[in-house]
Amino acid sequence: MKSPTVLVVDDEKPLRDFVRRNLEVRGFNVLTASNGLEAMAIFNTQTIDLVILDIMMPHLDGLETTRRIRQSSLVPIIILTALGEEADKVRAFDMGADDYLTKPFGIGELLGRVKAVLRRTRWSETNTTDERIVRGEICADLGRHEVTVRGQVINLTPTEFNLLVHLMRNTGKVLSHRSILQNVWGPEYGEEAEYLRVYMGRLRQKIEADPLHPQYLQTERGVGYRFEN
Amino acid sequence: MKRWFSFHNDLGVQLLALYMLVIVPSLIILLAFDQLAGQRIQDDVRTNDLSLARAIAQETHLSITNSLQAVEKLSEYPSVIDADPNGMELVFSIFLDTRPDVNLIYRLDPDGFMLYHYPTGPGSTIGVDFSFRDYYQRALLSDEPLFSKGRISPTTEQAVATAVMPMWSEDHQFLGLVATNIKLASLSQTLADIVSNHRPEEGFQVVILDSSAQIIAYPDAELLLHEAPDLLPEIYAPALAGKSGTRITASPSGEERLYTYAPIPSAGWGVIVSRPTAAAFSTQITIHRITVIVAATFLVLGLVVWILLTLRVITPIERLAAISQSIGTNQKSSPEEREQISRMAKRSDQIGHLIRSILRMEKSIAARITEQETLLETSQAVVSSLDSQIVLDRILEQVQKLLGVKMCAVIALDKQRNAFRIRASRGLSKQYTEQLAIQPTEPRSVTMRALRSKQPIQVSDTESDSSFSAQRPRAQAEGYRSMLAVPLNTQHAPPTALLVFRPDPHVFSTNEIQLLVNFANHVTMAIENAALYTRSDMRLQEQTRRIEALVQSLHDGLILSTLSGNVIYINRRVGELADLSAEDLGSASVDRVLNRIVAKAPEPDKVFRDVEDALKGKKGRSAEIPIMVFGRTTYLRLQVFDVTDGQGIPIGRGLILRDITADRELDRMKSSLISTVSHELRTPLAAIKGYATTLLADDVEWDSKSQREFLSIISSESDRLSNLVNNLLDLSRIEAGSLNLSRVECPIDEVIQHAAERAHLLPDNRFIVELEPNLPTLYADPPRLETVLRNLIENAVKYAGPKAVIRIHVSRKGSSLIFRVKDNGPGIPPEESQHIFQSFYRVDASLTRLASGAGLGLAICQGLVRAHGGDTWVEPQEQGACIAFSIPLNGEPQAEPTNSKEEKRV
Repeated sequence: MKSPTVLVVDDEKPLRDFVRRNLEVRGFNVLTASNGLEAMAIFNTQTIDLVILDIMMPHLDGLETTRRIRQSSLVPIIILTALGEEADKVRAFDMGADDYLTKPFGIGELLGRVKAVLRRTRWSETNTTDERIVRGEICADLGRHEVTVRGQVINLTPTEFNLLVHLMRNTGKVLSHRSILQNVWGPEYGEEAEYLRVYMGRLRQKIEADPLHPQYLQTERGVGYRFEN
Repeated sequence: MKRWFSFHNDLGVQLLALYMLVIVPSLIILLAFDQLAGQRIQDDVRTNDLSLARAIAQETHLSITNSLQAVEKLSEYPSVIDADPNGMELVFSIFLDTRPDVNLIYRLDPDGFMLYHYPTGPGSTIGVDFSFRDYYQRALLSDEPLFSKGRISPTTEQAVATAVMPMWSEDHQFLGLVATNIKLASLSQTLADIVSNHRPEEGFQVVILDSSAQIIAYPDAELLLHEAPDLLPEIYAPALAGKSGTRITASPSGEERLYTYAPIPSAGWGVIVSRPTAAAFSTQITIHRITVIVAATFLVLGLVVWILLTLRVITPIERLAAISQSIGTNQKSSPEEREQISRMAKRSDQIGHLIRSILRMEKSIAARITEQETLLETSQAVVSSLDSQIVLDRILEQVQKLLGVKMCAVIALDKQRNAFRIRASRGLSKQYTEQLAIQPTEPRSVTMRALRSKQPIQVSDTESDSSFSAQRPRAQAEGYRSMLAVPLNTQHAPPTALLVFRPDPHVFSTNEIQLLVNFANHVTMAIENAALYTRSDMRLQEQTRRIEALVQSLHDGLILSTLSGNVIYINRRVGELADLSAEDLGSASVDRVLNRIVAKAPEPDKVFRDVEDALKGKKGRSAEIPIMVFGRTTYLRLQVFDVTDGQGIPIGRGLILRDITADRELDRMKSSLISTVSHELRTPLAAIKGYATTLLADDVEWDSKSQREFLSIISSESDRLSNLVNNLLDLSRIEAGSLNLSRVECPIDEVIQHAAERAHLLPDNRFIVELEPNLPTLYADPPRLETVLRNLIENAVKYAGPKAVIRIHVSRKGSSLIFRVKDNGPGIPPEESQHIFQSFYRVDASLTRLASGAGLGLAICQGLVRAHGGDTWVEPQEQGACIAFSIPLNGEPQAEPTNSKEEKRV
């Protein structure tokens, strides 16, 4: 299998080098950029499997870069930031990031997230069955990675897609935060309940007729979520 | 409203009652007397008539008895018994001669045939059968003499009644009878005599009826032997039955009469005496009439007296009462009433007198009221205005009204001219008022005399008063003949007097003088008020000016308004915010001012809602108004508060507009501080942790060169971290104001070199230092100055990159040294140049940094420079950036300046 190409974007050279060298030594192709504009230039000319983005950068910050990438691609994006505020994480997810790492972080954490994100993407790509799951007005076509709601095809990131499929397969069951995170994001996860809040919010925006009064994606307060048909 | 029948309230009714109290018992006594006397008179009349009737009956009875005895005697004559005509003729003739009332004596045989009658005459009825006669029938059954009914004798053809003596033999053989015809006319003659004893107008009537109710005797012979009902009502039956009595009834002719009847038992006849009641009871009727007349007179008299009393006394008194009630009130009686009253007042009696006195009283009360009202008006005038001119004019107007004078004036000392001049006047010529100037020392002036003596002084005739001769031409010119001057008792105001003039000679009465003295007191009050007010007003105005100046120079906008939103006070700052001139502000409403300010907001509608809410007391009565001023957003906080009086009742509203831009900036900076510090600290930490974990990772074995490289990065990032921590400490000291500078003589080029060395210049950077020649000695804190320079150099390197050319230029300007750090990088956009010195400045909400760490660096620079008393700024540059700062030369060294200089010399 072709080794994945990772684009590392950070204005701090020591940090950029640290990520680059660690990924390279573990068999990734690594491209680097020191700001958002540079990153966009590389992204538009190369095939990228994963983007690691610092938020605070001159010339096009991480969030804006994420937004621009998301306009044309579902490539997994991991956001790095020195900001620990939850609001910042939510904003990153809103822009379409797949995962999030708060500085400082160890190499183990980074590699874990990289692998998990890639696995999620790859898994959804390789899961080429012809299975179709239909729940009410929602139809998930697992072969084509396509979801239609009320006949309309909607655009989902791989993680969103995986999350929705996981919930649909367990229709009616209450799924705990932990179980959802471990099943969808990967075994490295389990405590990141805020990921779920953001993702559920985004899924509701995309599939519910009235996102404020969801019909399918029900919250079980303090426990988890449930797909209700 | 008159209450006619209220006893207590109406004198007329009371008098009437009193009158009745006297009259009614008298009338009752009179009526009782009338009744009793009437009864007595009636009884007397009846008794009289009854006696008369009985007397007549008695006399008639005697006459009848007489006749019967006579006829009985006749029957005893033998010739009569034997019916011897000759003997009878003799006996009868003798008898007839003795009895003039008898006109015929006759003898009937036992069968009722006429045997003989005397006198005989042409109409002899001898031989005629008279057995049908009632007396014959009765004679057959009787041996006693009897009387026949009245009838017309066929023999004498006269009305007669017959006394009959039946004659019986020894053996009770009926022998016939002897009878004498008694002329009824002779009976009637007796009655006529009785009647003639009474006055004809009495209508006295006497009738004798026989047992068959034929009229036997009556003065009018025509009616003899007529049936009784021809003459009488049905009242005779009791008399014929042997009873006597009286009865009042109507006669057949309809006249009411008193009938009295008595029986004549010997013949079964009755006597009826009657007379008209009018005549019979004339005395009683007279008494009754007198009684009625007296009662009626009393009543009429009473009525007349009462009417007179009402018209002449009570009504006038009532009118007077109404007038006296209306005295002193504003009710005016109608003209008719007035006219009536004035008519009544002409009466010469006591009422007229009373009315005149009350009218006089009314007039004098009205005059007093007018006086009091005028005084009151004057008092009101005194307190109504503090402008003494207006007050004086009003007072003089009242003086004119009350004293009925045309000319009056207030004269006061004009201190500037040292002369008394007219301050206010009415009715005087302009020339007089403007030109009159009396010297205080003038001995003859009435005004001066009054002021000196402190007593009112009058001149009753200017022409005759010798003391006035000097001023006489003035009086003649002005047209007054008498005058009164009243001095005012002023304390705070200059000496003043009140003057009144009259065109005629006039002696002012005590009353008038007293009145004018009262006025003078009011004038004094007004003048004193005005004088005191002017003094206190000046003080107040000064105080107000001070407060005004204070409020006007407030940096905050202040609006005071009434509860209805009208501006009471507004300060200059609001005018600046609302772009309104001072004149516009005076007439603007709160809404208009706020609208003008809110209109400058980027989103006026939303802000306007917030402001509305604040004015309505919602949201803590405050609102934030962001407005654009010269392209910059200024944040205003509107705070609404109640203005209350002493009792805490809201009397208005206050609005404060505070510029909170700086506060907001500070808040924003403080919140950004946390995240920036966090970022700044985490960045080196991230590198340290990253490389440390890289070295620790089991899955990769790094060569020793890499390991050293990683460790040196860890080391340098640790330095960076420590540096950052120091900077933060400095910054917090600057912000807390606890940065201690030690100012010493500062070797500029040395400091610059040190800074450049520590600034981690990149190998390709060029660094140029340009010092102006002959720079004065700078006293500063060298390590701090070095930090400033180092930060600026690092900043330049970060901006301009590896090929940067960095110049440091130092020059003197005035009493400061100016340091400029220039680079050839991209430069600083003008809109950012104002903000870059603020600590942790971020251009917008996105997390872009100007450059790593620079947010803190420039803020530290500014803090340190300011701690030296200087300033930092960005200078516009054609290419690249130029950040400059100044350090004052006269900055007082911390150690004694002389020492420092000495050190330099050493």
